[in-house]
Amino acid sequence: MGEIINGIDVEIMKELLRQVSEDKEFVSKITRWNARVSWLGSGFNFRSYVRNHSFLISEPSELGGSDAGPNAVEHVLSALGACYATGFVLNATKRGVRVRNLEIALEGEIDNILVFLGLSSEGHPGYKRIYAKAYVDAEADERTIKEIWEETVRTSPVGHTLIRSVDVVPEVRVER
Amino acid sequence: MGEMINGIDVEKLRELLKQAGENREFVSKINKWSARVRWLGSGFNFRSYVRNHSFLISEPSELGGPDSSPNAVEYVISALGACYATGFILNATKRGVRVRNLEIALEGEIDNILVFLGLSSEGHPGYKRIYAKAYVDAEADERTIKEIWEETVRTSPVGNTLTRSVEVIPEVKVVR
Amino acid sequence: MSKLPLFPVTVVGSWPRPRWLLEALRLKREGKISQEEFDSIADEAVLLAVKYQEDAGVEILSDGEQRRDNFYSFVADKIRGIELKTVAEIVDLVPDKSRFETVLRSLDVPAFSIRNPVVTSRLEVGARGIARDEASFLKNHTRALIKIPLPGPYLLTRSSWVPGISDKHYRSREELGYEYAKILRDEIIALRDLGVFFVQLDEPVLSEVVYGPDQSQQTFMCAALFSRRNPREELEFAVELINETVKGVSGIKVGIHVCRGNWSRREDALLKGDYVPLMPYLAETKVEQLVLEFATPRAGDVEALRDYIGDKELGFGVVNPRTDEVEKPSEIVARVEKILRFMDPGKIYLNPDCGFGTFAEAPVNTPKTAFNKLRSMRIAAEELRRIYGER
Repeated sequence: MGEIINGIDVEIMKELLRQVSEDKEFVSKITRWNARVSWLGSGFNFRSYVRNHSFLISEPSELGGSDAGPNAVEHVLSALGACYATGFVLNATKRGVRVRNLEIALEGEIDNILVFLGLSSEGHPGYKRIYAKAYVDAEADERTIKEIWEETVRTSPVGHTLIRSVDVVPEVRVER
Repeated sequence: MGEMINGIDVEKLRELLKQAGENREFVSKINKWSARVRWLGSGFNFRSYVRNHSFLISEPSELGGPDSSPNAVEYVISALGACYATGFILNATKRGVRVRNLEIALEGEIDNILVFLGLSSEGHPGYKRIYAKAYVDAEADERTIKEIWEETVRTSPVGNTLTRSVEVIPEVKVVR
Repeated sequence: MSKLPLFPVTVVGSWPRPRWLLEALRLKREGKISQEEFDSIADEAVLLAVKYQEDAGVEILSDGEQRRDNFYSFVADKIRGIELKTVAEIVDLVPDKSRFETVLRSLDVPAFSIRNPVVTSRLEVGARGIARDEASFLKNHTRALIKIPLPGPYLLTRSSWVPGISDKHYRSREELGYEYAKILRDEIIALRDLGVFFVQLDEPVLSEVVYGPDQSQQTFMCAALFSRRNPREELEFAVELINETVKGVSGIKVGIHVCRGNWSRREDALLKGDYVPLMPYLAETKVEQLVLEFATPRAGDVEALRDYIGDKELGFGVVNPRTDEVEKPSEIVARVEKILRFMDPGKIYLNPDCGFGTFAEAPVNTPKTAFNKLRSMRIAAEELRRIYGER
C-alpha cells in the first residue's frame, strides 16, 4: 500500500490512471453513462435509476410538488459542484496536496422560467448563468490551490457539458 | 377540490400558474436555484445540500470511488430525464390528459474522458451527445402525445441548459 | 473611585484585535501553542485595549474580549461539556437545512468554517471560571471600574442545544437553560468577589427571535436555528432564565445587552426593527441596566422605552461601532437630551451600540476610529455634566 492522501492511495490511483490510457475498452466504458427516470404514478414524483443506485426527484411544494427530493435544475447544480469537487480532490491528490476542507456553493439563474410554465415565449427556460464558488482549506500555498482549481475547471466533464452546447437527441415512443 | 388528473388537482395547478405569471417576486425566486456540495473528508465522497434535502455523490469503484451513489455526470442525465418527465406530466395535466406510465431512458456520450483524467488534451471532457428516449402510456392519441412531448422538449429548463452554452462563473476562496 | 459621575462612559465589550493576537488565536485553536503561551500574548493585547480605553476617558472598561474568539463560543474553553463543532458537522442533524444555507450565503462562508459551541456532555466550569481569569488580570492592571461581558443564559442555551447530541445529557432545553443560569449566577458572584463592578449578559439573539423569522436577514449564530418555537414562548423562556440567573445576586451591577448583531459592516446583512416588541419582556427582567443600541437607525426610536424603562438604568448606545464617521459630541448630547424628556439623568450610561469586534476575525473598525468614538463620548459626557451637574 502506498501513501494515503485525502483518503486515496496515491500509488493505486497512479496505477489506475496508467492502465486507463492503455485500455481502450475501459475508456469507451467510462465515456458512456446511463440513467432511467420513472414517473411514480402520481404528481411530480420521479425516481431515477443509475446502475445500482436510485433516488427521488420531485418539485418543491410552491411549485405543486411533494418536495420529496431536489428537482431537476437543482440536480444540475449539484452535479456541477460534485464534478468540481471530484476534480479538485483528484488533482490535489495527484500533486500530493492534502485537502483539509472543500465546499462548493452554487447558484444558477434561469433565463426565463415562465417559458417552462407555458406563460411566456421570450428567452428560454434554461440556465443563463451559474456561479460556483469553492471554499478550500488545503496544505498548499494560495498559488498552488488556485492552479489546482484552474486545472479542475478546465477539465471538468459537467463544466464542459454546461458551457458548450450538447446535442440532445430526444425521442418519444408511445406504449399501450 | 377540483378534478384530479395524474395525482394533481387541475384547478389548483391552473390557479398556481395564473398567480405565478403575475407575481414578480415569485418568478424571480423560481428563476434562482442553489446547491452546496461538501467533500466528506476522504476519497471521492461528496454530499450535496439542496434546500432541506441532502444526498451523496461519489464515483464508481472502477474509478477509485466507494460507489455509494451515482456520480456527477450520471446526475446530469438523471436531471435531464427528470426535467422531461416533470414537463411531460405538467403539460399533459394542463391539457387534461391522463398518463398511465412514463419512463425516460438516457444515455450520454462524453467527448473525451481522458481530458478529465489529465491523460489527454484533445477534445473536451463534457458530454458531446445525450439520447433521451421517452416511453409513454397515456389516454390520448399518438399525435397528442407527440405534441405534448415536443412542447416538453421545447420548454425544458435542463434541456435548454444543455443545448445552449451556459456562462459558468467559477471562483475559489482559500479558507484557513 | 467612590462615586460615579452622571452619564458614566463605558463600552459594550470587544475591541479590534491586533494581527499578532489573531495569529496566536489560530495557533492555539490548532493546538500549536499552549494555553500559557497564548495567555502571555493575549495579556499584551489586553494592556493595549485597556490603554486605549483609559486614554479615551472610559470610566468603566472591559478587556476588549481580547482572549475570546467571539462573545459566546469561547465558553467551550471554559466549561467542560461544551465543544466547538462546525456547521458541517451538525447540519445533517437539522431538519431545516435551508435556513443554514441562507446564513452561509449571507455570510459568504463555507459550513466548515463556522464553529458553534455544542453541549456534548454534562457541564462543569473549569478552574479559570468563565471570565475570572480575565477579571483578575484586569484588576491588576487598571484602576478604572471593570465591566465583564458574559454570554447570557438564553443565548447559551439556544446556541448550544443541538437535538441528537445534547439531549443525551440533558432531558430538555429547559433543563440545560437552568443549568446555565446556575453556572452564570455562581460566576457573577465570583466576579463580584474579585471586585468587578458590572457584569453584562449578552442576549443579542433575542432580536433574532423577534425580527429573524421569515426575513432575508438571518442570525449570526447558526446553532440557534435548531429551536424555533413561537416568539412569545421564546421571549418568556429567555426572561425566566435571566431572572433565574440574577436570583439573590447583590453587590454587583448586572445588565443585559440586546442588539441586532453588529458583526458585519454590510448594513443589509444585519437585522432591523425597533425595540417595541421586546420592551414588555425586557421590562420583566430583574436586572439593573438595559444596554441598548440607538445610534444605528436599524434600532428605531428611543420612544420605545418610554412606557417600559421604569426604574431601570439605560446603557445608551450613542455611537455606531461600524462606521468610519466619528459622531460629534454635540450629536451625542442631543441624543441624550431627547431621552431625558422621560428619563432621570442619574439613570443614563453612555456606551457604543455594540463591541468593535464581535468576532475576532471580523473587527468592524480600526483602533484609531474606535478610540475617537470613545473620546467623543467622554467629551459629550463632560458637556452633559456641565448642564446637569456632577451628581
